[in-house]
Amino acid sequence: MITVERLTKRYGPFTAVDDVSFEVKPGLVTGFLGPNGAGKTTAMRVMSGLTPATSGRATVLGKPYAALPNPGRHVGLLLDASAQHAGRTGREVLTLGAILMGVGKHRVDEMVELVGLTEKEANRRVRNYSLGMRQRLGIAHALLGDPEVLILDEPANGLDPAGIRWMRDLLRGYANEGGTVLLSSHLLNEIERVADEIIVIGHGKIVAQGTKDELLAGAGCYTRSTDDDALMAALAAESLVAQRTATGDLHVDAEPIAVGRVAAANQIVLTELRGGDSRGLEEMFLDLTADAAREEVAA
Amino acid sequence: MTATTNAPATVPVAPTSPNAESKLPATAKVPSRITGPRPTTGVPFTRLIHVELRKMLDTRAGRWLLIGIGAIIAVALTIMFFNEGGEHAFGEYLQATTMPMAIILPVVGILAVTSEWSQRTGLVTFGLEPRRIRVAWAKTLAALFVGVCAFALSLVLAGIAHQSAITFRGITGDWSVDGLALLGAGGYVLLGIAQGVGFGMLFKNTPAAIVVYFILPTAWSILGSMVSWLADAATWLDMQHTMQPLFEGSLTGEQWAQLGTSVALWVVAPLAVGIWRLTRAEVK
Repeated sequence: MITVERLTKRYGPFTAVDDVSFEVKPGLVTGFLGPNGAGKTTAMRVMSGLTPATSGRATVLGKPYAALPNPGRHVGLLLDASAQHAGRTGREVLTLGAILMGVGKHRVDEMVELVGLTEKEANRRVRNYSLGMRQRLGIAHALLGDPEVLILDEPANGLDPAGIRWMRDLLRGYANEGGTVLLSSHLLNEIERVADEIIVIGHGKIVAQGTKDELLAGAGCYTRSTDDDALMAALAAESLVAQRTATGDLHVDAEPIAVGRVAAANQIVLTELRGGDSRGLEEMFLDLTADAAREEVAA
Repeated sequence: MTATTNAPATVPVAPTSPNAESKLPATAKVPSRITGPRPTTGVPFTRLIHVELRKMLDTRAGRWLLIGIGAIIAVALTIMFFNEGGEHAFGEYLQATTMPMAIILPVVGILAVTSEWSQRTGLVTFGLEPRRIRVAWAKTLAALFVGVCAFALSLVLAGIAHQSAITFRGITGDWSVDGLALLGAGGYVLLGIAQGVGFGMLFKNTPAAIVVYFILPTAWSILGSMVSWLADAATWLDMQHTMQPLFEGSLTGEQWAQLGTSVALWVVAPLAVGIWRLTRAEVK
């Protein structure tokens, strides 16, 4: 359980995190979505006690992070997979963590196996790791202390699609056992695939938050049929608005079942019918990204 | 053009890897639970020291520094062993073993702190122990422990070298060691390390800390020889200067005061300000 209350972090005139409040609940995977530079990492560092807040507060498991006894046994952190000593082996990185947390060395072997690093790779220095391997090492490190809360910054970065699915399964299983998971990403489809709840942040402010279903709902549905004109007319008769999209689909502002009923009643053969995708969310997200891009160009 | 970067579509392969990289397992398995209640007490301080000690020695940089010290000592002792028929007192052999340590071990102290920033391991270190002052003390004490071990080792090595010279080269041994000189030699090693740790915390940056650590005393000596009031100040503030009486075997009250003042300036002050900085700095 993570609670963030009216958190603000300013660097001089620049406000990185601007009056942000949210809750990350146990048993769910919460996605922290925002373009690069939106304030995700800063917010996560404040939660982890590494960056002092300008105002407001963040608590983990009901306490400020710094007040957690032996925090590695309560919270698993992966804030930057590249933040490892290049001259240490992967196994040594985990061993140091295991000693500090007071978990046995066998836990190191277990974590190495969990993320599928071979014995040889674990004994290689981090300097020679690819980004994907660093991420896996970071995930292994975050899970070392069997924490109740996971805070992962861009953990899917550098993983291939199969790796992202692995991550989803892992985090899902973790949440199902009552764990609290907060993970960030700048990619909408990554978050869509992994998260139950989504918090969207842009320019340091929260622009949307809710369950994935809530945020994705209201997007209407898409359909195709053997006779689109007849279908459009039939839909219009039921006062359902249908529009032809650029790809030739019909977009209808209604649930798929409503369109299906109209088609069945009018004996029109549907060749395709699917629920709306995350279009609303995607558009909002693209606006944010475009803003960020414009600012970068201006700066 | 957008500001975002796209996730790579393929698994990146480590460029230096001779073999293809392993893949994640096909199915994710949730890690086993650790039995027993979660800890309600903080990380024991001894554990922090243990980890910090290990971190000083488990990297390539740390290991090579120690190997380097060993090599220099070996060369120095070999030269002494053959030079002038090996006719040197134990005290001189001891100087040959402590000098390289006193010069290089501070770098171990510097790296122990600066690597947390340069390698960004601070994210993990201070994530696992947010009470950073404890980390700062653990680093300082671990570095001093390395210094004590190194000094003990230098005594042993000097003893072995001296005894060998007696046995194999037939020199008349001279085992006499002045207590103050011993304190001076030990202090030289330990104060250097403490200063290194302090400079590391102060600068948070490896090159800056190393350069300042090595350049400042020399610059001070050069300036001191040119500017008269600096030369006067040096008798109180230049550690090279104030430690000298220790090796000569006697200190007056004033010389103790001078030693104390210089240590306060070069060791205590950097440590104090460094720890203050370390506890407040943002970890990125």
